[in-house]
Amino acid sequence: MSERGTTRRRFLTAAGSAAATAALAGCSSGGDETPDGGDETPDGGDGTPGGDGTATDRPEPETREGYLQRANLHVHEQAPWGFLNRQYSVYGQSDDIEWEPRVDERIAAYAIEPATDAGEDVTITQSQMDSGLDPQDHRETPTDNIVLQAYEGLLERDAEGTIVQKLATDYERLDETTVQFTVRDGVTFHEGESLVPDDVAYSINRIVDSEVGIESPQTDQLVGVDGASVASEDDRTVEVSLTGLNPIVFQSFATYCDVMNREWVEGNDDSYVNSNMNGTGPFALTSYEQGVAVEFERNEDYWDDPAAISTLTINAASESSTRVNRLLNDETDVAVNVPPQEVSRIDGNEGTSVSAVPSTRVLFTAMRYDAEPFDSPEFRRAINYAIDLESIIENVLQTFGDATGQPTLEGFFGYNSDVDPYPQDLERAEELVEESGYADAEITLVTPIGRYLRDVEIAQAVAGQVDELSNVSAEAEQQEFQTLVGQVTTGNIEDKPPWYLLGWGNATFDAIQTIQPLLATDGALTSYEDEELDRLLEEAQNLPSEEN
Amino acid sequence: MGYGRFLLKRSLQGVGVVWGVVTVVFMLRFITPGSPVDTVAPLDASQETRRRIAEELGVDQPIYVQYFDYLAGLLQGDMGYSYISSISASAQVFSKLPATLELAIAASIVAVVISIPLGVVSATRRHEPADYAATTFSLVGISTPNFWLGIMLVLVLSVEFGLFPTSGRAFGFADSVGAITGPAPFFEVTGAWLKSLALPAITLGTYFTALITRLTRSGMLDELGKGYVRATRAKGLPETLVRYKHVLRNTLVPVITVLGLQLGTLIGGAVITEAVFAWPGLGTEVINAINARDWPILQGSLIVIGVGFVVVNIVVDALYAYLDPRVMGE
Repeated sequence: MSERGTTRRRFLTAAGSAAATAALAGCSSGGDETPDGGDETPDGGDGTPGGDGTATDRPEPETREGYLQRANLHVHEQAPWGFLNRQYSVYGQSDDIEWEPRVDERIAAYAIEPATDAGEDVTITQSQMDSGLDPQDHRETPTDNIVLQAYEGLLERDAEGTIVQKLATDYERLDETTVQFTVRDGVTFHEGESLVPDDVAYSINRIVDSEVGIESPQTDQLVGVDGASVASEDDRTVEVSLTGLNPIVFQSFATYCDVMNREWVEGNDDSYVNSNMNGTGPFALTSYEQGVAVEFERNEDYWDDPAAISTLTINAASESSTRVNRLLNDETDVAVNVPPQEVSRIDGNEGTSVSAVPSTRVLFTAMRYDAEPFDSPEFRRAINYAIDLESIIENVLQTFGDATGQPTLEGFFGYNSDVDPYPQDLERAEELVEESGYADAEITLVTPIGRYLRDVEIAQAVAGQVDELSNVSAEAEQQEFQTLVGQVTTGNIEDKPPWYLLGWGNATFDAIQTIQPLLATDGALTSYEDEELDRLLEEAQNLPSEEN
Repeated sequence: MGYGRFLLKRSLQGVGVVWGVVTVVFMLRFITPGSPVDTVAPLDASQETRRRIAEELGVDQPIYVQYFDYLAGLLQGDMGYSYISSISASAQVFSKLPATLELAIAASIVAVVISIPLGVVSATRRHEPADYAATTFSLVGISTPNFWLGIMLVLVLSVEFGLFPTSGRAFGFADSVGAITGPAPFFEVTGAWLKSLALPAITLGTYFTALITRLTRSGMLDELGKGYVRATRAKGLPETLVRYKHVLRNTLVPVITVLGLQLGTLIGGAVITEAVFAWPGLGTEVINAINARDWPILQGSLIVIGVGFVVVNIVVDALYAYLDPRVMGE
């Protein structure tokens, strides 16, 4: 496996460099904007917390990363969210296999190696099956886990989130609005056709242009991509035109855009394409029982080394105890989404263990900037001071979570390492409530039921802690996830509950993919409007990423 | 009324009920909050993307257009396409039906085999230890939550002793039949099929067992006190014949009714058992479709369940009329 790792050229690192450039970006110049001692300073000095002020005495950032870090600091200070935690992905795993979970929640069986004789045939049990096998007609992890075994994109990510080449052997930016991919030679689809650049161009167009075939939910993931074309027939390159600079274009391509065979897609109807697979990946589909199980066998003609395991079955059980029972009874090798209360059963069993990694998902409580009492930044900060993140993580999540004080997670491009989560300080919170003029406010936190790990319990803890303030009373209200989705996606801020809990995954490892849709004025899911934040994001989007 | 006319009348009524079911199921979508677009579109989709998805799904048309399109499709056996997977709804629903039927029938068999003898014993040995044991058993059975019993059975019999698979359905009835002539080893396939079916059937059947035991017991006690029983005894018929030929036959009339109705309930209501055992049946399908607002699948499943109910009812009525011809006149 290590040999394979070294042959992949590491082109750019999405994670890890954030801390190094933080100082350069000038984010720490204010000295003590961190909430511990910072509340006095900003109130007096740099004018941020007023809601309308710009941080005039901070030097303007120079790089894209600097702007994103400044945006994170600004969001932290304006507190449009109660910042909660980074979620963990927790897996139960059999000792028959060797496997390290990935940060982005995807399970690539290519990385699984047999540890014992029983490990040649691997079974993975997740909570849900796929929403169809068309790799371009979905956008959620359970389906990703199934289609990525057979389909590949131009670029992908390794276990740490680094971008690696798959079906592209080279990629570069030709000018501001054009990028170019060189398509790998000698790759065949499972049904025997050779991969040609036209397949790649067709696949890109099928996502970004609904006229080409389907209404792909990945359109918004490749936002800013206009279309693709093949330069000339004997050429191996595909040119992709962009509507603007699009600094994260390669990150986007590393997340979605699986390559399909044009002839195969055009020759079959949607129902067929969704129940069969013809990709270039390390595993080929052998059987598909909709909603029940998907079976694969190793693709011996894979362009890279063939996978280490010979067969792969992915099935589903919605009950977590059923998934764990399967693992304990040796019926599966990986049980996905193990809840904290089941961890001890797996750890206590011989031949199984638990592996956990911080995921790319952040959990937060959003506060509407236009609704009383949340229209006051003081009140919003008071909520943050009232919450004891550490105790929620320890008691509700049993340590499978990390506290966060900004929308961007550690290791992501644009993360600001100088911003710490608000500490719990009830006295300060009560003072801020008085300052806001909303003393004795009664507020309700709306939470989805069972959508995120322990979501209801987290919301109850948050509401309970806020309720402890002498001048605010808070309670949690449960709502079915789909109903909440109906309210937050109408495009009108007024349709949203004033205070609600939501989670957001970001597989591009770039701050923009969280802040833009959720907090920018024109974001699809926003409950916040702020000119300074919009300005910072626009500046960031007009600069190339330092990393590509 | 002749038996044939009685059946015809019941069948025509059944068609009317099915049409009613289809209409109600179709209208449900319009009184349920939330749009199917919300499930299909990613959370951060633009309003333009949402509009195009609505157009693609056809949910932007007026209700009556959608209704007649749907009815026309149904008459041709087309239930539409899943909003989520784009797979034909009838293919998806009917692929789940065998698993559910197997489970419902197996649970009924478990129930009948245990409960009717128990009920008879308990009625004929009234106030004896056998009666108390049977009554206690049915009380415990009726008050045990299904999911708890299921989880306990799995923990003890599967995880602890490894006698049964914990969950899932490796093979079905069709695989077993296919294995008689096919290349697969028959006993292995059938064994695996029955093993995976055993625990869910016992779990689901237990509640049912308790109900039928009590029904058989009280029905039998009722009958035993009637005049015709004294008459048959007076004629000198052996007690076994009195109990099993005359009394039990009359007792079974209400039992069959309940059994039939419960079979319908089992088809639609085995949801919890199906979830505990990851049993790929219609119950799971319905719950997934509700969560995903996948209307074509939900409508298709409900229609299949509704038709199942109607058919079971007609069969029960037919049996009822056969056992007791007086009901035809009512």
